Amino acid sequence: MASVLSVRELRKSFVLHTIDGRTVSSLHGVDLEVSAGEHVALAGPSGAGKSSLLRCVYRTYLPDSGQVWLHTAAGEVELTGLPDRAMARLRGREIGYVSQFLSAPPRTGPLEVVAAAARRRGLDRPEAREAAATALRRLNLDETLWDVDCGVLSGGERQRVNLAAGTVRPPRLLLLDEPVSALDPANREAALDLIGSLTAQGVAVLAVFHDMDAMRRLASRVVLMSGGLAERSGTPDDVLAGVA
Amino acid sequence: MPTSTMDLVAELEQDTSLLDEGAKREIRRAILTAVCVPGYQVPFGSREMPVARGWGSGGLQVTLGVIGPTDTIKVIDQGDDAGVNATNLRRMIAFSTGAEPTADSREATVIQTRHRVPEEVLSKQHILVFQVPVPEPLRGVEKSVAEAARMHAEADYAKIWVSLYEDLVRNGLITKSGGYPLLVNGRYVMAPSPIPRWDVPRLHQAEHLNLFGAGREKKIYAIPPHTDVAPLAFDDVPFEVEHAPGARCQLCGSDDVFLVDAGTDGGYVCSDTEWCTRVREKDADLSNHRDHAPLDLLPDPAARMAQGADVQPWVPPARVTGGPEWALRVTGIGKVHGAGGADAVAGTGPEYGTAISPATRAVVAAWDVSFDVAPGEALGLIGESGSGKSTVLSCVIGDQPATAGQVYLAGVDDGRTDVLRLPDMARRKLRIDGMAVVHQDPAEGLNLGVTAGGNIAEQLTAAGWRGFHAIRRRAAELLERVEVPLSRMDDPVRTFSGGMRQRVQIAKALATDPPVLLLDEPTTGLDASVAAGVLDLLRGLLAERDVAAVVVSHDFAVIEALTDRTVVMQLGRVVEHGLTDQLFHDPHHPYTQRLVAAARR
Repeated sequence: MASVLSVRELRKSFVLHTIDGRTVSSLHGVDLEVSAGEHVALAGPSGAGKSSLLRCVYRTYLPDSGQVWLHTAAGEVELTGLPDRAMARLRGREIGYVSQFLSAPPRTGPLEVVAAAARRRGLDRPEAREAAATALRRLNLDETLWDVDCGVLSGGERQRVNLAAGTVRPPRLLLLDEPVSALDPANREAALDLIGSLTAQGVAVLAVFHDMDAMRRLASRVVLMSGGLAERSGTPDDVLAGVA
Repeated sequence: MPTSTMDLVAELEQDTSLLDEGAKREIRRAILTAVCVPGYQVPFGSREMPVARGWGSGGLQVTLGVIGPTDTIKVIDQGDDAGVNATNLRRMIAFSTGAEPTADSREATVIQTRHRVPEEVLSKQHILVFQVPVPEPLRGVEKSVAEAARMHAEADYAKIWVSLYEDLVRNGLITKSGGYPLLVNGRYVMAPSPIPRWDVPRLHQAEHLNLFGAGREKKIYAIPPHTDVAPLAFDDVPFEVEHAPGARCQLCGSDDVFLVDAGTDGGYVCSDTEWCTRVREKDADLSNHRDHAPLDLLPDPAARMAQGADVQPWVPPARVTGGPEWALRVTGIGKVHGAGGADAVAGTGPEYGTAISPATRAVVAAWDVSFDVAPGEALGLIGESGSGKSTVLSCVIGDQPATAGQVYLAGVDDGRTDVLRLPDMARRKLRIDGMAVVHQDPAEGLNLGVTAGGNIAEQLTAAGWRGFHAIRRRAAELLERVEVPLSRMDDPVRTFSGGMRQRVQIAKALATDPPVLLLDEPTTGLDASVAAGVLDLLRGLLAERDVAAVVVSHDFAVIEALTDRTVVMQLGRVVEHGLTDQLFHDPHHPYTQRLVAAARR
């Protein structure tokens, strides 16, 4: 399988100038590999650096050192040193990021949010609306909510909008940070189905899930993180047996 | 030879000339310049005359400058030879110069006139001298004399086009009659003194010399023979002369002359009394006169606005591609207020905690600020008040000269020319269709006394648009896009709320589809709900037109909503730059961390 994401020796710490300049360390040299069609789940206790790793890959956090290589159709790109503009464009085209919280522009509706994501991945306007409608339908978002302000949606509804935006016209690499945490069982089922289908389409997925069931069901591999390091990697059963 | 004071007084009393030879020479020099540069207002040292300023003193000085004892002088006041003012001026000129007075245009060599061109077709023997009350055609649209001079120098006549646009919008036809603006020799816009529109065609490619004298305003200008004179008119709204259907002179029966009301019974008479008399005495060349009458320009209400129906929407030309990746590139911009220039910079900036130069006390408002922005991308410029972000913006657009640095636009010479080095005129033109600005205060970007449509028309006419209906259509499209109701299109912007004004300003900036848009605190003066609406509008606009935008704001919410990348400024310097969400979630510089903490509230 072709590697899509290679993380090498990634380190990240925060210097808090507003609080007497103290330093908080987060990642201490993480190495990680995700291939096309592979679903890698990050496991580990709170504060282990799972979310930080996702954010460093997406460049919401700027890593201190190390490399993040993305293998695109046009060749390998190192993300930590990529100029801002190139990174912004690459994000829209190649990387989907679904966090627990919806970061939609204020006063926009679900359909618009998802269609905008599809347009960034190369669809024209009518195609993007079509794809967005399909994605929202698949996640069972009530059609009467499609054009209301995302700000008034419930947590579960927002999460589905977010997931639809991240997965519409699937990108090469999908980063998932607790994408189903607020969903009821029925919707959660639909969402997990969707995520599972992406791997079959060759998308490389790097995910953080709270619950073991989701991990067991979706992950081709689990990486156990602890203290800012990737400690162990293996099949879900192998790795999770020790944790649970 | 004994000379006493009384001798000098006696000598003065013998001298009947009103101007000494030196003054006449100066007037002739001004006239020569005016003839060489048709339509250009030449300043001259206007003398006191034995008539009050505003009573023809300018025309009188020009007449005295060109006339001699072998000339024949005719003076008319609104076409009338027998008015008190005309009579007195004619007598005075004849007495002081020895010229022969006459009322017959065919005999006259110099005709001084107020508000008319004689009906008799003039020939190369004639000099027509106009008494001019207000020589500046831009006076009504631009109060500043310096600004009007600049507009003439740069042939920047957008504002006068807007006044014609507004006249058409308000009245459905051009109502401006006296002093209609004329483009002379394809270069200067000129006020022909308050002659009616009826007389305008006879200045075009005339056989005679036209001289205009404004005594109070101290200006002389000219239309030489065989010079092109074109009244300003939109391509699709024909220029019309004054005409009342079926009107004839009650006295001579002419219908191809300029007529004026005759008393209260509703009839008309010739304005030109000489012509009227000669028509009645059968002493007039009627067919030659008719050939020169502007009968092809009579008003035709059916044709006037007929071309509006089939105006197509404007399709902006495709953006030039293949140049540099960026649309705007700013390198090393610096601005120092006060002494020292670049030498004053040492010892200022965030690491010293001050923007004031320890050496010269100069204020280093900005230094070494660089960024670029690509089509379809929005760049934020954030910092607290006084951090220099607005200074940088005003240096980029040319509102104030930069102390250091360069600005490149992909649309100008493929980005190889520093636009800060371009002449003022070229830079000003860039602001029309190269790099538009939306100011914090709508009053800076808009003319509040002009309608919403008129403000957009100003941008479009400045870019060379001359189709009235095309301008209307484009303005309506833009206003619709920014959600200003079309029912308000023809209301003065002064009557608009703050949020609506800002929308109109945005529409104006986008009128010519500029590749670069600079936004200076676009929502700062607005209350929260209105600001949100404007913000949403801007976000939509930036997404749909591949513009390169720079957004200056002190508000992280605005920057977050609009931009992909951000530059953080403190004390005139760039302290950090990055992806907008990265700066918000992982700010590195202490100052950025403080800004983010403040934004979280």
